[in-house]
Amino acid sequence: MIECPSCKHQEFVGTLYCSECGTRLVHTAPIGPTGQMFEVDTVDTADSSAPTGRGLAAGAIFGLRVVATGDMVSLVGRDNYTLGRAAGSQAIVPDVDLDTYGAQDQGISRLHAEIRLDESGMHVVDLDSVNGTLVNGKRLEPQEPAPLHHKDIIQLGHLKLQVVSRIRK
Amino acid sequence: MTDELDYYAILGVPRNASVEDIRRAYREAALRLHPDKNEGPDATELFLQVNKAYEVLSDRETRTAYDEELQSFEAEQLSKASFKATVVQSRRRLLSLDEPQVHYLLVDIEPSEGLPEARPAINLAVVIDRSTSMRGQRLDQLRTATLKILQRMNRGDNTSVVAFSDKAEVVVSPEQSRDISVARARLSLLQAGGGTEIGQGLRMGLDEIARNFSRAGVNHLILLTDGRTYGDENECIELADRSSLKGITIHGVGIGNDWSDRLLDDIATRTGGSVAFLDSPHAIVQVMEDIFEGLGRTVASRLRLEGSVAQQVDLRSSFRLLPEPMPMGDSLPMNLGHLPKDGLVRVLLEMVIHPIGKISELTLAHFTVDGDILGQGVTGVALPVQVKIPVSDEPDAEPPPEQITSALSQISLYRMQEKARHEAELGQSAQAARRLENLATQLLASGQRDLARAALSEADRLSHSRRLSSEGEKVLKYGTRALMLPARTGES
Repeated sequence: MIECPSCKHQEFVGTLYCSECGTRLVHTAPIGPTGQMFEVDTVDTADSSAPTGRGLAAGAIFGLRVVATGDMVSLVGRDNYTLGRAAGSQAIVPDVDLDTYGAQDQGISRLHAEIRLDESGMHVVDLDSVNGTLVNGKRLEPQEPAPLHHKDIIQLGHLKLQVVSRIRK
Repeated sequence: MTDELDYYAILGVPRNASVEDIRRAYREAALRLHPDKNEGPDATELFLQVNKAYEVLSDRETRTAYDEELQSFEAEQLSKASFKATVVQSRRRLLSLDEPQVHYLLVDIEPSEGLPEARPAINLAVVIDRSTSMRGQRLDQLRTATLKILQRMNRGDNTSVVAFSDKAEVVVSPEQSRDISVARARLSLLQAGGGTEIGQGLRMGLDEIARNFSRAGVNHLILLTDGRTYGDENECIELADRSSLKGITIHGVGIGNDWSDRLLDDIATRTGGSVAFLDSPHAIVQVMEDIFEGLGRTVASRLRLEGSVAQQVDLRSSFRLLPEPMPMGDSLPMNLGHLPKDGLVRVLLEMVIHPIGKISELTLAHFTVDGDILGQGVTGVALPVQVKIPVSDEPDAEPPPEQITSALSQISLYRMQEKARHEAELGQSAQAARRLENLATQLLASGQRDLARAALSEADRLSHSRRLSSEGEKVLKYGTRALMLPARTGES
């Protein structure tokens, strides 16, 4: 079984949307024997910043939660993700297209920021965006990687995203 | 049909079924279809087929010979099939697990090359509810809409207009419909009055179509109603099943808030049709014209997805996404209706795969896509489709294909609405209200403000009156269903 990060409802492995709350599910690995619940609140934040790139540790859940809507955006299978907004005719397409969340009105640039994963942890880099990137309210210098942790709030323009990074124990 | 029958599909068993499974399936089918019990028009033929299938499959020697024959037959058919199918899977490999897992298939069906350009003959019945509640604007708009369709008929088309209340009558026969002034006069005699017995109207409409049934054309019934049928739901369902055997598609149009959406959906799903919801009678003319225009663009009809899934697999649900979104139930065969010119029929299948343990590959299903290419006077050549997937211990790190996630994101909204309605009916109004609020959040996130507002107002109503409004139910159901159309999902 896998578990919805939003409402904790359990679904069969391979399910893509939670049948309870409609949240997109990002898991790739089962949470273990049926009935064994993964206690989110007991996960230590420091411990949780563990994802290291392409081969995420088994049970790692990594994604961004759109604060305004509660949607989960999955980040699986790569070691870097560009965030931005796909513009119709433009050749540049970000890995994570935030257009669904009113990216234009929120002041998000086409290539706004990038999330990188490596052995030293998770980082976010502002890609010289027009309206800037903030982490927990602190504005980043363009092109300067800033460390990320579970529950951190990344703000792109006006759009707030919360980092979800958990390891099942 | 094809020269070679798929005996596995006839019995509804997977190709790797055990002798015991085949025996059980045979007994069940034989009981159901026995001529003493079943009076359906094709029951005798089906009964004979089931017997033949059992005879061949129950003996190991004949079964082995048949399997070889079937394989070479299917290989040969691939090259000359009237259709081609593309299957996209949600994962590139399954996990070898000791617990169930979910897997999705997106099946696109297109005609092969070399299709006729000509518009097919249209054999249509317009079945109109003339119960008392239809009086005034509703019936006026229907007369206008029907006349417009009659004016656009080609030579070779047949249209009957049937009206029903607690009994049915042919208002305009195909002969009368060819003379517009006669048709107009006949339609003006149509007066509202009486109850609603949909079964009466359906039966007469289907008889009219059957009389002029066209193998080379489309055979279609449009049922327009604004009320609940009076005590003949089961008869309606039987008529729908009979209609699907004959290859007649039924399109439901519900006007206002008081019609039974579940019955119309059920009828339409069984026949490969679809259902439109009109909150105002002013939309009638446009909707009828669109339906008629769509029929004229049909290049293949009576499209069916047949065959069987593997023993370890259960079909949990399915949706037709194109050309018109429609929930399709959880069993094969599935009637998919008409295939439009320059278009395709797209179906999303949700499967539950039971614990599979350590195997390296699983054949999920043997499907057959069957149907008739119109205007050729011959029946189509069915396409066999085998769906396989590797099984491994390593999860697939690649994200699922975008077409599948975008379709499922819309389907999950539709499902939430269905679930909330179910909960409200069970009296769990607090839970239903919470679900509608979640739905509203998801709708807002995808830019559907009006629908989100409707969901919120129904959530509010639930906490006050503990019930959904019958208008709200329909707005949410058909609103979220319409989201599955590709224009909205942002896919070409």
